Amino acid sequence: MIIRRQRLTLLLLLPFGLLVVPFLIAPAVFGLFASFTNFAPFENALQFVGFKNYLNLLRDDVFRASVRNTLLLVVCTVTLEMLIGFGIAWSLRKPFRGRALTRFVLLIPWLISPIASGLMWHYLFSDLNGILNFWFATIGRQSLIYPLNPGLALLTVILTDVWRKAPFVSFLVLPGLLSILPDQWDQARLDGLRSPGQIRHVALPHLRLLLLTIMLLLIGESLGSFENTLMLTGGGPGIETQTVGLYSFENAFKGFNWTGGTTSVWFIVVTVLVVGGVYLLISRQSVGKQ
Amino acid sequence: MRLKPIEAGRWLIVAAALIISILPIAWTLLASLNVTPNNYSTPPNWSWPPSFDSYIEIGTAEPNFWREMLTSATAAALTTLLAISVAFLAAYSLARTVFRGRKLLVQGCLVLASLPVIAYIIPLWAMLRRLHLHDTLPGLIFSEAALYAPLAVYVLHSYIVQLSPELEAAAQLDGATLLQVLSRIVLPIIAPGVAAIAIIIYVLSWNQLLLPLLITSTQVRTVPVMMSDFFTFERELEWPTAGAALIASLLPVGLFVALSHRLLERFSLVATQDLI
Repeated sequence: MIIRRQRLTLLLLLPFGLLVVPFLIAPAVFGLFASFTNFAPFENALQFVGFKNYLNLLRDDVFRASVRNTLLLVVCTVTLEMLIGFGIAWSLRKPFRGRALTRFVLLIPWLISPIASGLMWHYLFSDLNGILNFWFATIGRQSLIYPLNPGLALLTVILTDVWRKAPFVSFLVLPGLLSILPDQWDQARLDGLRSPGQIRHVALPHLRLLLLTIMLLLIGESLGSFENTLMLTGGGPGIETQTVGLYSFENAFKGFNWTGGTTSVWFIVVTVLVVGGVYLLISRQSVGKQ
Repeated sequence: MRLKPIEAGRWLIVAAALIISILPIAWTLLASLNVTPNNYSTPPNWSWPPSFDSYIEIGTAEPNFWREMLTSATAAALTTLLAISVAFLAAYSLARTVFRGRKLLVQGCLVLASLPVIAYIIPLWAMLRRLHLHDTLPGLIFSEAALYAPLAVYVLHSYIVQLSPELEAAAQLDGATLLQVLSRIVLPIIAPGVAAIAIIIYVLSWNQLLLPLLITSTQVRTVPVMMSDFFTFERELEWPTAGAALIASLLPVGLFVALSHRLLERFSLVATQDLI
């Protein structure tokens, strides 16, 4: 009877499989296969073309710039979001009146969709009614600032992304900080540890898995998402804020260069798999130590 | 009593975070009420008095705006329901059965959850066209639920694995069926966690752009797609109207999250440290 129940329990995986295999895994795997063919949506006779699509990509300056920008974007946004998010959570860990309200307010930027956030910042950076130039005008500066101009655009894309997600990171980190038992803080204090020491020896070991999980999700999101960029700069000026996700989107759905679109995203998939693999290794090690 | 420097630093961080988070939205709210500064004059002068004209203007600029809000709300609700249901069953199965590679499957769910939509949207789009699911509500819901279910499996698994299986075993000895065990014992215990991840998925789905942008066109239209249209058709909207649409689309999720905030507050992405 126990064995029968085990088999029945195993069957509960089926609905998940029926949903995820056709609508997520199969398209992803087919994408890999398609990147070696002359794939196009209405092409019935697929022909194997070897590494031709990949060679074409590597020859494309725009793609190379996209890879560089994407890597820069991922490293900067994820680092800033983790640091700021942790900092805010750390500052909120002792209870005070209005903490619940504070936490709710900090959640609001994340409730705005990336596309709406891009739209909003597009206007907030405008010279006539924008929020940034308002302060410049108030202090009487005549020349206004244009954050979407060459040289500043990528930084602007990074900072607006951090604006939307860093408070959300703090929201996810705080319950972890609060789950640390008071004894552990007391012990650390008795040992003479100040804040940096407490973070290093109490908080980080305890939150290791949570922080790694958040980081992996953030990296995946940063690698692929371009809604914010689409609204703010459209990849410009020039190709200054072009990313791999945007490159694939524009090639496939605007330029109808399907092979370029399907092949370029393999940079994203491979990076996710590599980062995911590193995550598996690190999370295993951390358990071994405990 | 004097404030210690470290305390002062803490308050400074909290205050800065609050101001930076809220100021851009407050600016948008003011603009939606037609209160905007003119930065070309020093000091800038504000347009006054406020009015609700921009909110009425949304209906002219985007005639189907309110219907799109309804579509978004329905699609997000059904997506959440489907994703959570299949994820709950799968998470229970992974927590209570023994087979090789089951831990890898759980961790694989997290890696899958971090795979961005753009990584597989082109083949998915081509497939949905062939299956005649393109531009239909079911096509959208299945695709979105498949996108978010892996995250829910990972989170719910970490909750269920923490529960002691003894209660379930006792119920089984008393003749409870598997479904009864699930609905009367497991679900009630982890209900707060289920509700919290459901709310997160609802918000993610409400804000999802890429899937509905590409796999729907005229029949099914969601709010983020409408927002992206504000620019793509060369019709740059007036800032107050765009601001009004933004505030209007933020209100439903804002209210929803405000009401369920107590639940969300304790939400933990990973419930246990010894998952692996």
